[in-house]
Amino acid sequence: MSAVLKGLGGLALAAAVLYGMQRTTPGYGEITAPRPVAGKLGHRLEGRAFAIDIAKVQLARTVATKGAARDSNFTTSGVWVLVEGTAEARTESLTLLSAEWLGANGVRYAMSQRLSSLPGMLPGQRLEPGLPMPVLMAFEIPEGQVAGGTLLIARSAWAPLAEQARVDMAGAKPADIRSGLVLARGQGRVPWTVSAE
Amino acid sequence: MSAEQRLTWRRRLFAFVVASVGAAAAAAISFAMTVYDAANPKPVPLAAPGQPIDTGRWTITFRDARTGSIPPTGIKPSTPKKLLMVEFDLDNRSASTSNAFLRLFTLEPPVPNLPPPAFYLARDRSVAGGLQPDMPERMIAAWEWPQAVPVPQQLRLKVTSQIHKRRDNLYGAPGWFDRDPAAVVTLAVGSGP
Amino acid sequence: MTAATGMSERCRYWLSLAALAVVLPLAIVVNSWDSLSEWRRSEFRTPIAVERGTTQAYAGAQWQLTGLTRLPGATPETTLIVAEFDAAVDDPALLQAGPCAVVLTDDKGRRWLPVFLPGRTVRQGRPAAADKPRCYGLARAEKGKTITMAETFTVPEGATGLALSITIGGARPAYLVFR
Repeated sequence: MSAVLKGLGGLALAAAVLYGMQRTTPGYGEITAPRPVAGKLGHRLEGRAFAIDIAKVQLARTVATKGAARDSNFTTSGVWVLVEGTAEARTESLTLLSAEWLGANGVRYAMSQRLSSLPGMLPGQRLEPGLPMPVLMAFEIPEGQVAGGTLLIARSAWAPLAEQARVDMAGAKPADIRSGLVLARGQGRVPWTVSAE
Repeated sequence: MSAEQRLTWRRRLFAFVVASVGAAAAAAISFAMTVYDAANPKPVPLAAPGQPIDTGRWTITFRDARTGSIPPTGIKPSTPKKLLMVEFDLDNRSASTSNAFLRLFTLEPPVPNLPPPAFYLARDRSVAGGLQPDMPERMIAAWEWPQAVPVPQQLRLKVTSQIHKRRDNLYGAPGWFDRDPAAVVTLAVGSGP
Repeated sequence: MTAATGMSERCRYWLSLAALAVVLPLAIVVNSWDSLSEWRRSEFRTPIAVERGTTQAYAGAQWQLTGLTRLPGATPETTLIVAEFDAAVDDPALLQAGPCAVVLTDDKGRRWLPVFLPGRTVRQGRPAAADKPRCYGLARAEKGKTITMAETFTVPEGATGLALSITIGGARPAYLVFR
């Protein structure tokens, strides 16, 4: 009798161990996920390959652009988020191609491609070591995702084990949503200017 | 053979027969199911314009179809072209920005030598990039129709569906995979500018 | 007999366990030997230092640095460095055996990759260099011809100890370093 119980107990133990291993094994997506480097709004975040400093976040319902050829007005069903910062490569020249807004519910919003051709946009800036450059990012997110968001910036969205900067966007509050922002070309170091309508 | 040996032989034979009957039954049932599925395909549901179609990754609602010579950008092309434009509302139901709507619906029956359509955002009247999750947008798909082929009065569009797998069969990585068509929509083609 | 078998069985058990500690790392090393040797071979480890004004044979051509010009950059703390070099081709096959990469390094180990287009400053400051191809000009290598190339880099004003390194994929692990 005790032999049968021992057998059953061993079987149950093995089943429990296997179940635990199955539940806790990380998937391929988690194993090759980017390595996060945490940071905060307003503070310089130093990674191994690049350093980024997010200075300002502005929210608006519409963005008007004043370009060389024509003026455009961009509306959205959610909210526009314009993020201004400074980025620098640390050891080798690189371009940061991927920036996403991670909402509080885990949904990721990539940079809006509607505003992608403006000067100073992050994926168009070649960052050199020793030369910090001003960078601009634009996101379109639903209004409910403004609070508790995180900015994820990396060299590439798909490279496994790439370094990813996670900047906590606690400074973005739904109360700060303006009705309109104007994005124009700037003279001087910063190639753009953001002003309220 | 002694009595004991015969007993063991009979036991082994019995086990062998039971196992092979089970395996044969499984193979036969699986084959019969495949043949039945092939002979009786599930009918693709029909959808009407204005009815939201859930395709897994996208929720699409067709609005109308029209022909024209001016693309949705409003800029007249340098050489005269015949364009077939389909207007629809698209909602990204996945958890990240995606531009995988390029093969979401196809013309049924397919027109030979038709280049793939260009997708425009109606809001901006410019070429569409990635669509953000949970933010539905009105879009226009424009096919450059060959001059020789007449444009049909009724357009049939087959909408494909996708499912999300947290672990796929090859790498165990998450991804979206094609499944059976979600619906077939018939649109009356009007004429525009 | 039972006692003797019991002892040798225990002995065998512990011996196998000890052997496992040796065999497992050995299996890992043997399986990854190919990848490891491939990785070591692909690294550029052997710099060939070249003095200004001298020619150096590398990857089937004679290389020479013909000019290193500093031009003012867009902002006061930026400098543009225009590096001009030429290769007298001896063996086109070796030269085209792998991708070419030109990198500017400094004494702190930072690496600058060339810019895509020369830009207005280079065209005004050093017009001869603006017309020269970048190192993809090696694709048209013919025996006996000399190919002149130029690359432009954007570096901080205060960068010191700059050295130009040229790597041709087929000539690993050696690479050229011009000071």
